[in-house]
Amino acid sequence: MLSLLLLIPFAGALLLALWPGRPAEGRMRTVTLVVLGLQLAWSLVVLARFDPANSAMQLQESLPWVESLGLEYKLGVDGLSLPLVLINAALTLVSAICTRDIDKRPRVYFLLLLVISGSVNGAFLAENLLLFFLFYELELIPLWGLIAIWGGVNRAYAATKFLIFTAVSGMLILGAFLGLALLTGTADFSLTPITGERLAMGSQLLLLGALLIGFGIKVPLFPFHNWLPDAHTQASTPVSVLLAGVLLKLGTYGLLRFCMGLFPEAWALLAPGLAIWAAVSVLFGSLAAIAQKDMKRMVAYSSVGHMGYILLAAAAATPIAILGAVFQMVSHGLISALLFLLVGIVYRKTGTRDLTVLHGLLNPERGLPFTGTLMIVGVMASAGMPGMAGFISEFMVFRGSIGAFPLATLLSMVGSGLTAVYFLLLVNRAFFGRLAVTPPIDPVVHGRLDVNLAAVAPRETIPAMALAVAVFAIGLLPYGLGRLSEAASTAMVQLPALAAAVYSGGLG
Amino acid sequence: MPIISAELVRSGGMPSAAELEASLLAGHTLLSNTAEHLIEVVDVLESYGQVLDAYSKNLIFQAEQQFLLPFPLFKYLDGDKTVAKIWRHLNHDRINFEYAEYCMKAMLWHGTGGLDAYLDSEPFAANCRAIIGRKTRRDPLLALLHPVFRGFLIELIRTAATTSALGQFWRVMSDLFLDLAAAEAAGRVGSIDAVVEFIKDGLVAVAGNPITYAVEIEGERMWVLPPEAGLTFLADVAVPYVEAVFLRGLPFLGTVSFNAQAQQISPDQGQFAYGALYADPLPSMGAGIPPSLLMQDMYRHLPERLHQLYRQRGRGEGDVRVKICMSFQKSMFCVTNAAIRGTFPSPLSSGDPAEQAANRAYAAAWASRLAVARTDCLD
Repeated sequence: MLSLLLLIPFAGALLLALWPGRPAEGRMRTVTLVVLGLQLAWSLVVLARFDPANSAMQLQESLPWVESLGLEYKLGVDGLSLPLVLINAALTLVSAICTRDIDKRPRVYFLLLLVISGSVNGAFLAENLLLFFLFYELELIPLWGLIAIWGGVNRAYAATKFLIFTAVSGMLILGAFLGLALLTGTADFSLTPITGERLAMGSQLLLLGALLIGFGIKVPLFPFHNWLPDAHTQASTPVSVLLAGVLLKLGTYGLLRFCMGLFPEAWALLAPGLAIWAAVSVLFGSLAAIAQKDMKRMVAYSSVGHMGYILLAAAAATPIAILGAVFQMVSHGLISALLFLLVGIVYRKTGTRDLTVLHGLLNPERGLPFTGTLMIVGVMASAGMPGMAGFISEFMVFRGSIGAFPLATLLSMVGSGLTAVYFLLLVNRAFFGRLAVTPPIDPVVHGRLDVNLAAVAPRETIPAMALAVAVFAIGLLPYGLGRLSEAASTAMVQLPALAAAVYSGGLG
Repeated sequence: MPIISAELVRSGGMPSAAELEASLLAGHTLLSNTAEHLIEVVDVLESYGQVLDAYSKNLIFQAEQQFLLPFPLFKYLDGDKTVAKIWRHLNHDRINFEYAEYCMKAMLWHGTGGLDAYLDSEPFAANCRAIIGRKTRRDPLLALLHPVFRGFLIELIRTAATTSALGQFWRVMSDLFLDLAAAEAAGRVGSIDAVVEFIKDGLVAVAGNPITYAVEIEGERMWVLPPEAGLTFLADVAVPYVEAVFLRGLPFLGTVSFNAQAQQISPDQGQFAYGALYADPLPSMGAGIPPSLLMQDMYRHLPERLHQLYRQRGRGEGDVRVKICMSFQKSMFCVTNAAIRGTFPSPLSSGDPAEQAANRAYAAAWASRLAVARTDCLD
């Protein structure tokens, strides 16, 4: 059942690779859309079969692979991974839909897109640490390729930086997993939580530290965020959608599943520091976003800030906070994908993302009024306006963490307020006022420019509209997602007590 | 700095005041003579002529039939109160008569020229007293209002007088613009210069036409603007209209807004530059009478030749109102050009130094105001 979620995209990639001759871009795109449509449909089948009341891994599949290494092909899904699998399917489809005019090697482009989607599914579903690592690494090279080949002017720099940072991330994660096997003397690489009786706290802290930095790079959290703004700025719009919407979630998923899940006791020990780290990351991301002049960098820095909420929620480790973290992963995926799509439309039509140059894009006849409207929806959602996905997730994160870490939560709330500051700056500069796409050097000349932007065709905004609808749907009807993840998030919170009880024979 | 495609942003020539002055004195047209400009100007003036016809009829209807009505609910229906007409009105299948009222209010508020002077004169006050005396005899509401607010009915009569004067002015202009289209179709007008000359001749021909206005109250015809006031078409209505609507206008709030407290709007009405010649064709409503209302009306009457041209430019139907406004501004520069040409103190060919100096001063005064208008459309 779950293997099909890997098989569909990988088989699609193979099909594209073996397609005879030199097929046109349109055909490659159609095949990719069909494959991704199938993947989404199958993800929905998995959703239908999923029992939300059960907090354990479900629909498990297992196959011995390299037993001597402890590598086992073992898949399972729970309330934490299922929303991410769904969002992976949806957003990869969105990024394939909004891919237009691939001027070089369309076959490779779509193939890499499918490989990424399959790898991400594999990482979310893996129940074996080494298997997770394999998929985690497998997604790096295709993404590097998507930035390095189809990126902007400085794509080589951004792609290399991305590769170096995430390769270090991978090494730290692999090192921690191997260290775990070495220090505990068992090489089963399962997701069983580690307790003080199996491993001394010092060793736990060392391994957790490596994992925290490893996943902290991927999330990214301050000060390991440096690669993200460059990667986003140079990546094309569909790749940015994928990067912000899905790939960053591998980092936050890792924090919850492996850092918190494997080392619950050490996690509890570090939690106050992690909460402060989260607040610093939130504030840094928000303040850095305020200073940006490039729309895409601003949205990228907003990601740094908003990912901090997930660390805050994980540090607090209350049921509502963990549920909030899941909500935040989903809502950030949708909202950031929406914002990147819209920035992409602005860039395609105007040739710039410079906030000192763009003005008045809401102009009804000559501007991009519908894109601007959706942008306002997107920034309102990101700033946590009630009725939208961002509000539900931030509210739950803050509600869940204020009791445990009031100071860090309050500081994070300030960061939430700053989101409104930088996104209102964005909307005010780029969308309000007199339409222009030049720096206002001479106000008289500036006010007389005849601006001729190409109109945005309705089909170009369909993916963004779908995301906006999803943002409202989660904001107005959060019950569905909440029900899906509630049992799993509550179980995660009980892990430390459960683990202690198991090893002390308390449950026997 | 980003690389911005030159195709996305274009700024016109924007001639200096000195260049404009030289052009006016040399008898050249402000708008350059191109085949496309000719189509734009003639066709947009044809649609404008048809719209002015409707505006004019309605303004005259309002002035004569809705005079001192406290609640003129049906003032835009031209007396046709059938269900079909009311439905079309409510469904907004109609001309935006509000635009005509904005223009009237701009004239009333800026108040320049002979009409305004007469509206503040003693003979006008005497007319008002007579009209109010007769009107309040059978109208209890007005009879109650007048003693309490002494200036209220007089101001309404001033409004009605301006409404009638504008209606009469536009009646003439409507016919002139429709005649221009017919002349161009007949091959008698083939250049921008010929357009300017045609309009100038039309204005000069009716310059001395009297502007009068009377209302019928209880079977008696009473003068508001009597013939003895000596108000004439060009000096007392056309020139104040150009001053109020083409040049000064009113600042309207839109996506570009003005802060009067921060002195972004001049406290001196004479310095206002929000008129049709300054208005931004992009519907940011930054300046001038909301141009989108007039553009919507002209769109209803757009000649097919011009419509076809618009379909091939920019966003086609998508930004058609912006293109209409740009063409409209070109045509208004031609009308202004004609008005200036027809009102030079002395013939341009004069060899008398004193007359030349007077002409130069006249041209310089116009050029200084036009230099900051939207001259980017002229080249």
